[in-house]
Amino acid sequence: MRRPLIGLTAYAQHVHFGRNDVMAGMLPMTYVRAVHVTGGRAVLITPDDPGTDVLETLDGIVFTGGGDVGPGHWGAEPHPETEVDEVRDAAEIMLMRAALEQDLPVLGVCRGHQVMAVATGGSLHQHLPDLIGHDRHRAAVGTDPLAAGAGDYGRHDVVTADHSLAHDLFGRHTTVNSFHHQAVADPGRCVATGWCPDDRVVEIIEHPGRTFALGVQWHPERTSDLRVFAALVAAAMNRRKVAAAA
Amino acid sequence: MRPIIGITTYVMPATWGGWNDLPTVLVPRDYAEAVTLAGGRAVLLPPDDRDADVLRMLDGLLLSGGPDISPRWYGQEPGRHTVTHPERDEAELLLLEAALDRDLPVLGVCRGMQLLVAAHGGTLHQHLPDVLGHERHRVAPAVYSEHDAVFVPGSRIAGLMGGDVTINCFHHQGVADAGKLTVTGRAEDGLPEAVEDPDRRFLLGVQWHPEVSRDVRLFGALVQAAAERS
Repeated sequence: MRRPLIGLTAYAQHVHFGRNDVMAGMLPMTYVRAVHVTGGRAVLITPDDPGTDVLETLDGIVFTGGGDVGPGHWGAEPHPETEVDEVRDAAEIMLMRAALEQDLPVLGVCRGHQVMAVATGGSLHQHLPDLIGHDRHRAAVGTDPLAAGAGDYGRHDVVTADHSLAHDLFGRHTTVNSFHHQAVADPGRCVATGWCPDDRVVEIIEHPGRTFALGVQWHPERTSDLRVFAALVAAAMNRRKVAAAA
Repeated sequence: MRPIIGITTYVMPATWGGWNDLPTVLVPRDYAEAVTLAGGRAVLLPPDDRDADVLRMLDGLLLSGGPDISPRWYGQEPGRHTVTHPERDEAELLLLEAALDRDLPVLGVCRGMQLLVAAHGGTLHQHLPDVLGHERHRVAPAVYSEHDAVFVPGSRIAGLMGGDVTINCFHHQGVADAGKLTVTGRAEDGLPEAVEDPDRRFLLGVQWHPEVSRDVRLFGALVQAAAERS
């Protein structure tokens, strides 16, 4: 069986490496490794492009983490802490809608999970500390809240709903790393199926009408627990088999 | 549907947005923009030497610039100025060989041209100043040097470039022997600047950086060849 092709949304970012300082199309290698370790072949989908035709050649897609989603997409004014990349928003919301329309297997990670809610008519809390009174969902950049000896800042449990894909994947609860200050308020056409038990922040959403469309608020690609990537790759593999048999 | 052009990438420890030296897949955005402006759909290909599976979604392959290729691919020991990235070599050569098997359109830029040459039995000069006695192909860090090239009349590259033969270079290695490829363009000092295989649908390597100016002459030709195939 040939490997399913998994698109990963990439972004444009000024990066510094060696003696170079360039505007690059880029993505942390952790996402690529997560796809390759679980049996897929990763390709990066650049945001600077208006079309969705590339989806026809993919077997699955991951909407990756990154900055905030623009509140104009659900009719709100930006919070002072909100930082938006409009080009990336427009490209990813369009790709998300097209991917769901085609029933392409979809995994949303952090920002990607939020894009899944917004693209299906939902909305976000723009700054969690205003809602829950603390910033413990946002670990410091560059840290690993799941490392042995780390404090519990940026680490928390997630509980899942019965009879959900989330429950099938994780059982009743799991422990996650957390790097965000926005969160899903209204999941749109999706359904919330996982929460942080301490503060009821939505951590997992699913699209009930799709074969595989799952969003997680944390960063599994930075951990050794790649169950969501394995599930995506399996769904992508199934889709290829069905397409080949048709 | 637009033809899909796969662009090879680096994996480098990169620093951005609060992350320091985080292993990152990246390639200058210029390449994707040049493909987009020429009417293609760019996707970026992280190095992966397991297989060439990804070719099934591609209509064309763009081998991007970057560090030196390992001299072992052309039978030499590394010189003291040679900086290599072996895992990228292996992943790109695997893709290139499979692309050539399928006669997929291929454009090689700078390092990509040098990879084309090595894959066709040619050799490189590992450090041009040692050979040419000047540094006009790489005048300073992050500075492209402009010069005029001379193209072989009737070649693909001569037809694409037309009357404007100014090229922008940034490299310290160069083609010594193009192997089975044909040299179709040279700098004023005689260094090969363009190679092609006239027997193939589209196989072109250029030593300069057409992506910086989004040169639609070259990227347009790649996209058009890819469209004819798709």
